[in-house]
Amino acid sequence: MKRILLILLFSPVIIFAQDELIQLLNDDSNYKISSTFKGVKIVNSQSAELVSKGDLLFLIQHRFGPLNSGAYNLYGLDNAQVRFGLDYGLNDWFSIGMGRSSFLKTIDANTKIKLLSQSKGKDFFPFSIVWYSSVFFKQSIWKEMQGLDYLFSDQISYVHQLLVARKITSAFSLQLSPTLVHKNIVNQGEANDLLSVGLGARHKLTSKFSLNVEYFLQLNKENSINPLSLGVDIETGGHVFQLHLSNSAAMFERAFIHETNGNWSNGDIYFGFNISRVFTLKE
Amino acid sequence: MNKAITFILIFFVTNLYSQRFIDKKAEISFFSEALIEDISAKNNKVSVVYDVETKQLVFQLNISDFVFQKPLMQEHFNENYLESDRFPKASFSGIIGELNKISIAKGILKIHGESNEVKVKGSLVKSNDNVILDATFTIQLKDYNIKIPKIVIYNIAEEIEINVKAKLKEI
Repeated sequence: MKRILLILLFSPVIIFAQDELIQLLNDDSNYKISSTFKGVKIVNSQSAELVSKGDLLFLIQHRFGPLNSGAYNLYGLDNAQVRFGLDYGLNDWFSIGMGRSSFLKTIDANTKIKLLSQSKGKDFFPFSIVWYSSVFFKQSIWKEMQGLDYLFSDQISYVHQLLVARKITSAFSLQLSPTLVHKNIVNQGEANDLLSVGLGARHKLTSKFSLNVEYFLQLNKENSINPLSLGVDIETGGHVFQLHLSNSAAMFERAFIHETNGNWSNGDIYFGFNISRVFTLKE
Repeated sequence: MNKAITFILIFFVTNLYSQRFIDKKAEISFFSEALIEDISAKNNKVSVVYDVETKQLVFQLNISDFVFQKPLMQEHFNENYLESDRFPKASFSGIIGELNKISIAKGILKIHGESNEVKVKGSLVKSNDNVILDATFTIQLKDYNIKIPKIVIYNIAEEIEINVKAKLKEI
């Protein structure tokens, strides 16, 4: 009897003590939400994801011709646009990159700055906020420019974006991207500054496979169509393969947001892919 | 009746005078030998508490605090293998033998939402005012439902070696 009483008395004490011990450890635990998106791009546009510190990302982007271009052009596969890009993480919150697109022979140089991270715990914050800016330089043939009143600065345009993203569940992420494109030179009657709002989403089906969608709503548009893209991400360790369909063949913001002429309902759909490879340079 | 009061008194007294040691910056690292490159990571934000009276030992850590050499490995570790969104913490809770060079801890190790009973041999010694804990043990990934796909460049081993180092101070 005594023994039972002893056990009865002590067992709750031990359980209580254990809970109390765990409580002693329950701290200021605070963690940042990572991997909102698989890649630095959703399809064409930037995601709120940055290249990690010391990592170099090599990105090959490829867009074929339109699917409705017929069997003679093998449904677009005979034509291709390509962009090569390199991005480097100077810090976990700061990356720089550059690339060149065959479309309009444009060179771009960009920077991405993580302003705030989505976090749980003590420093709770519901969104990740990233600033993205890029400058585009359209290459010209020197001969074409001679004799014309055409300045170097006329070849330049810019984009500035605020990427506001939230990983809503471990599988589903959503992003809103208010965007400003500035062109130094435009045709008569056109605006230099163009505003748009981007919407991007990612739904992870397995740990290595996800569905992506991306749309840009142009707030002041000039005869161009809003771009809509659907894609999948396939991760294989060091590489991420992104396959997609889009009504835009261009791969830099100025062109794919404001110079898209393809229409989904007409079958002006371009098949394309992005392949990224990460190299860790730091030791 | 008197006995019950004595028990309550004993309980309160032991509680008041129970000697406890704590470390909130203990280090847990793991190592896995793999074909292409070895994988190792370190977490030095581990919390440990030890109660001398009850011999209770409790560990707790955030999975996302493990730091790898390659950021991509860290991302895969959190996203694909340990699913730190769903299972943010790992813990050990058990009883450890006397303060000694060779001491055995028995308890429940919880990783990736899976709990297993483990028995770990290590040393628990007192030096000055601190209690120093050092242990190395191995775990099987399959015991914790951590699945490694076949096509992975790292070729991750099924067995992981874990090292624990803590320097606990009295509270």
